[in-house]
Amino acid sequence: MKSILIGGMGNVLLGDDAVGPYVIQLLESQYTFGDDVELADLGTPALDLTHRIAGRRAVILVDCIASEDHPPGTVLIYDKSDLLTAIPTQRLDPHSPALSECLLTAEMLGASPEQVLLVGAVGESFEPGQSLSLAVRESLGKITSAIVGELKRLGIPAERRHLPAEPVFWWTDDAPAAVSADHR
Amino acid sequence: MAKRITIDPITRIEGHLRIDVEVENNAVSNAWASCTMWRGIEKILRGRDPRDAWLFTQRFCGVCTTVHAMASVRSVEDALKLEIPLNAQYIRNLILIAHALHDHIVHFYQLSALDWVDVLQIPKADPGAASKLAETLSPWTGNSRNELKAAQDRVNAVANSGQLGIFANGYWGHPAMRLSPEVNLLAFSHYIQALEYQRKALQVVGILGSKTPHIQNLTVGGVANAIDLDSQAALGMEKLEMIRTLLAEVAQFVQQVYFVDVCAVAAMYPEWFKIGSGVKNYLAVPDLPLDSRGSAYDLPGGYIRNADLAGVKGFQTAADPIFRQSVTEDVVHAYYQGEKPLHPWVGETEPAFTGWESEQKYSWVKAPRFNGEPMQVGPLAQVLIGYSQGHALTRKYTDLAIEKVAAIGGVRATPAALHSTLGRHAARAIRACMLAELAQKHWQLLVDNIAKGDYTVHNKPVLPSHEVQGVGTHEAPRGTLSHWIVIKDEKIKNYQAVVPSTWNASPRDHAGAHGPYEASLLNTPLARPEEPLEVLRTVHSFDPCMACACHAFDPSGRKITTAKIL
Repeated sequence: MKSILIGGMGNVLLGDDAVGPYVIQLLESQYTFGDDVELADLGTPALDLTHRIAGRRAVILVDCIASEDHPPGTVLIYDKSDLLTAIPTQRLDPHSPALSECLLTAEMLGASPEQVLLVGAVGESFEPGQSLSLAVRESLGKITSAIVGELKRLGIPAERRHLPAEPVFWWTDDAPAAVSADHR
Repeated sequence: MAKRITIDPITRIEGHLRIDVEVENNAVSNAWASCTMWRGIEKILRGRDPRDAWLFTQRFCGVCTTVHAMASVRSVEDALKLEIPLNAQYIRNLILIAHALHDHIVHFYQLSALDWVDVLQIPKADPGAASKLAETLSPWTGNSRNELKAAQDRVNAVANSGQLGIFANGYWGHPAMRLSPEVNLLAFSHYIQALEYQRKALQVVGILGSKTPHIQNLTVGGVANAIDLDSQAALGMEKLEMIRTLLAEVAQFVQQVYFVDVCAVAAMYPEWFKIGSGVKNYLAVPDLPLDSRGSAYDLPGGYIRNADLAGVKGFQTAADPIFRQSVTEDVVHAYYQGEKPLHPWVGETEPAFTGWESEQKYSWVKAPRFNGEPMQVGPLAQVLIGYSQGHALTRKYTDLAIEKVAAIGGVRATPAALHSTLGRHAARAIRACMLAELAQKHWQLLVDNIAKGDYTVHNKPVLPSHEVQGVGTHEAPRGTLSHWIVIKDEKIKNYQAVVPSTWNASPRDHAGAHGPYEASLLNTPLARPEEPLEVLRTVHSFDPCMACACHAFDPSGRKITTAKIL
């Protein structure tokens, strides 16, 4: 397992909730990282997130944030101690164990990453089938800078590509059939 | 005067389950199951290429990605009457089995065991005595005194930290908790071990699907795995051996730990064989196809009405004509427009939000009906339908469970006692044992077929210009899943997913009939109504998962107030 994980969380079908996977595609197309870095579109994970984060040195997650205190597009950053203060609620279904519970489980197992950072953008719209709102789109630069800055702080190389690749946002209407073409 | 209790743990941006019960004389007198968010994701699929649909449907839910991918390709294949090569059937079956084993283990340990196991009793346990007790129950080698002491130390560390961490918010010390400290410790030790075996099951999905949580190897007409026995990159002997080892390890955990723990809980809480029955109509579809046409299956399907096990009717195929004709969705109590129940091929998903009104509309979940009746789906439905048709593998593990419960607790359950909260847990463990055995069978079928020189994995789909309809089914961990597609001019004209939790969490219908969750809660005794542990026990026994039953945001315009992170 690679010691650093950069994971995008969220549902690509639900408007601004796609920002996590979106940022992963951006990073993959614009940067090269050290061999010890894994980039992953995690979708909307439940307890399986524990397996993704446990035993790593550092984990950087990108997600959409629901907030009434900040305007859409605001970039918010949470560290491990912030995330550990959330109290788990009753688990009514498998989606209930979210990030904090996975982190608490990793803590209990003694396998919690030393460094955890959540970089998020406050979402505006979660309409099915819509792509990112303008507010969240405008926050993308800040989010990628925050991630690259954190990697620098950790001493992990992240170099901008001289010739950026084309990012694949297959779920948006701009490129409806981009991915499965090779499956036909 | 009845007292109303609402259980509404808002934790995710996706749809979630809300339960309302009325309590009179310390028992549930009325119940409502509802989903708090809108389900409309299928509309995204209209106008798209049907061969791409599975990529989108596997994003319906972050937990059950593969099941929606599978049902989707099957719906297109049904519409095109496309046969699937044997290798592709076996590879798909292995993915489905591994996913289900993962899901059942997670469900019992991480999502429901702590309804029965009191973590805060564990510090009082004697690990040596617990280890001796375990020896009488199972040959599992992970029950040593040291192993149990380590698990106890983990609980002590969390308890002594002054904060309950992962154990905050449990009903610890509740009068309905009855296990000895030693049994609590054993179960909790398995809770920790279960995390490891879930991971192994997921690894199988990852090797065959090339990625988790979103598999990449499906395609309409088969799979995209390249088979080359000598290659490390393709599906070769190296990967196949890895899969065999992982499946064998998971099978051992399921049969020696999970199955035994469920039997032990059942033996120690026998009154729960009489609580939580609810709707006694059951529905399951055949799955794990054994040939390319889908005419023989390893898991039987069919339906039962009014608990009449002898009157069971079987389905011949996974898209049986009776199933195709008999499903409708009713929206009288759901936040959608429309009057009459509609068949999914002509189904509509136009929102009509009103707010929660107990006698009017109160849920974003539609009410699916089979010949107009609510049906319970899930492992219990599958086990009862298989058992009453004399299916050998179902009988083997059901009879074993009955024997095991009797040996531990002296209570001899009958298949009829399975109409209950404990019955749903027992059936899931029975199904997991069946799947663990079938995993090894389908691995061998795949390897034997490849050894014959058959490397085919895909039949090319041809989209007709005229309109066609199809239904793709899968007997998923939570029960019967069906995706209904209408294709016209090579594009998707309509798409509806009728998911297991929609059947089970359905609201009342036009006739006022309760959905399965609702019906199962009626008359449940509550020791402390302000701590409705008993309600959770029954709701959890269904393995609810609402994310695919409904999605997205509250159209009243209110912002989602609870983040998944804070």
